[in-house]
Amino acid sequence: MTVLQKEHAYKMGERYGLHPDDGQYPGKLIIVEGIDGSGKSTQIDLLGKWLNSQNLVTVFTEWNSSPIVRRTTKRGKVEELLTPMSFSLIHAADFANRVHAQILPALRAGAVVLADRYVFTAFARDAARGVNREWLRRVYSFAVQPSLALYFKVPLDVSIHRITVGREELGYYESGQDMGFSSDREESFRLFQGKLLDEYDALTEEFGLMTIDATQPIAVQQQQVRKYVEPLLEDVMAISGQSVPEALGRAGLTGRYITSPMRRRLTELEALAAAKSDG
Amino acid sequence: MNEVRFYGHTPPGAGDEETPGRLVVVEGTDGVGRSTQIAMLREWLEAEGYAVLVTGFRRSELAATGIDRAMRGNTLDPMTLNLFYATDFWDRLEKNIVPALRSGMVALVDRYIFSIIARARVRGVSPRWLNDVFEFAVVPDIVLYLDVDVEHLVPRVLSVRQLDHWESGEDFLRGPDLYQNFITYQSALIDEFRELAKEHQFVTVDGRGSVGDVFEALKTEVRKALEGMS
Repeated sequence: MTVLQKEHAYKMGERYGLHPDDGQYPGKLIIVEGIDGSGKSTQIDLLGKWLNSQNLVTVFTEWNSSPIVRRTTKRGKVEELLTPMSFSLIHAADFANRVHAQILPALRAGAVVLADRYVFTAFARDAARGVNREWLRRVYSFAVQPSLALYFKVPLDVSIHRITVGREELGYYESGQDMGFSSDREESFRLFQGKLLDEYDALTEEFGLMTIDATQPIAVQQQQVRKYVEPLLEDVMAISGQSVPEALGRAGLTGRYITSPMRRRLTELEALAAAKSDG
Repeated sequence: MNEVRFYGHTPPGAGDEETPGRLVVVEGTDGVGRSTQIAMLREWLEAEGYAVLVTGFRRSELAATGIDRAMRGNTLDPMTLNLFYATDFWDRLEKNIVPALRSGMVALVDRYIFSIIARARVRGVSPRWLNDVFEFAVVPDIVLYLDVDVEHLVPRVLSVRQLDHWESGEDFLRGPDLYQNFITYQSALIDEFRELAKEHQFVTVDGRGSVGDVFEALKTEVRKALEGMS
């Protein structure tokens, strides 16, 4: 499945001289996008569990999580040092490090890589901050083309309701307060997220992202996700066709009952006994 | 008045109005004597009555510490380092250099985007992509390039300190021979600088001369670049 249209095709090796290969990897890259509160993280988590239950090797990567870059980003956010361009560049640095250290090696090994947010997050957020759209596409031209890109579309009211239930405080940058839309944080958040929805609509068209109606029940969405994912799983890496506990058991490493209720009870009793003998 | 020109699009936050200041860049490889010359240029310019801002690599409030920390580890790849440098550069461009130009100062910059680009090119990063990334940079009024060949560079560096891991390209060159790695890396870097000098019309100054001779040559060029400044 080609997700990105030809004119923006991210052909590895074309402009980024570090990878002499042709961009053909045995692994698969599945990415999810959507505004805060769209439920995409829940969906990719469920997808990962489903893939793991089939003994497929999955690697999870998250936006803004590079071990060598994220502290700088965090400092920039906490101390409010970031401006639209530095916000954009530091996130590109984080992404580059994850492509190099996580995404590419896993794809070459044949794993399923699950990415919570991808370049489209940068395209939406940075463009909403006035960064040049064409420049963003060229900066991120080293990104690996996803095998599947899912966009979880949700109306603003629904996402805001989910967020206000689920977390204590909105951040300065996630509310777009650096842009001076409004001095009221909630109002600013609403305005900024609205702009992001517009950007995502345009990106869906430009890059052919698969849209999932994120107002549906979680289980219904997950069924749709799995239907898109299933055809991609033919050649990906599995752990020898048996469940992990079973495989370990056969190798004589843990025994068969490691996950059974009996085994769990036994562990509890052992812990109690140990506590008693300590006291 | 000077108009601020960018290599590509005008980035948000930099302003695109006319500016009375001048942007003077000094480029050259490690150990060529840039810092000495910049210190002397600053003193001379201030004595001539100019307000001077000096800024250099890895000095931004935002990213300097993070880059230093990342360079102490061993997981830093060329693309990430390049974008980290780009962040550091932008932070200084936006918060130091452009304001200095707008207020009528001479911004004297020790290594600009060209050192970043040369280092990344040597490590195999696409020149076209690098030009794309750095198109947000302001086009300097003059780029003074201190050129030296590797034979003259070695004694200069060795007489001051021992050879450095990064300056010997040991993040990507293999083998235990530090001296050979330094030669290989610095030769490749100098080749890239000479290539960039052609692409971007640097004013090349022979860095093999005495400190005094180089300084005189630089002064002549800077004087020309500052002509018409009030």
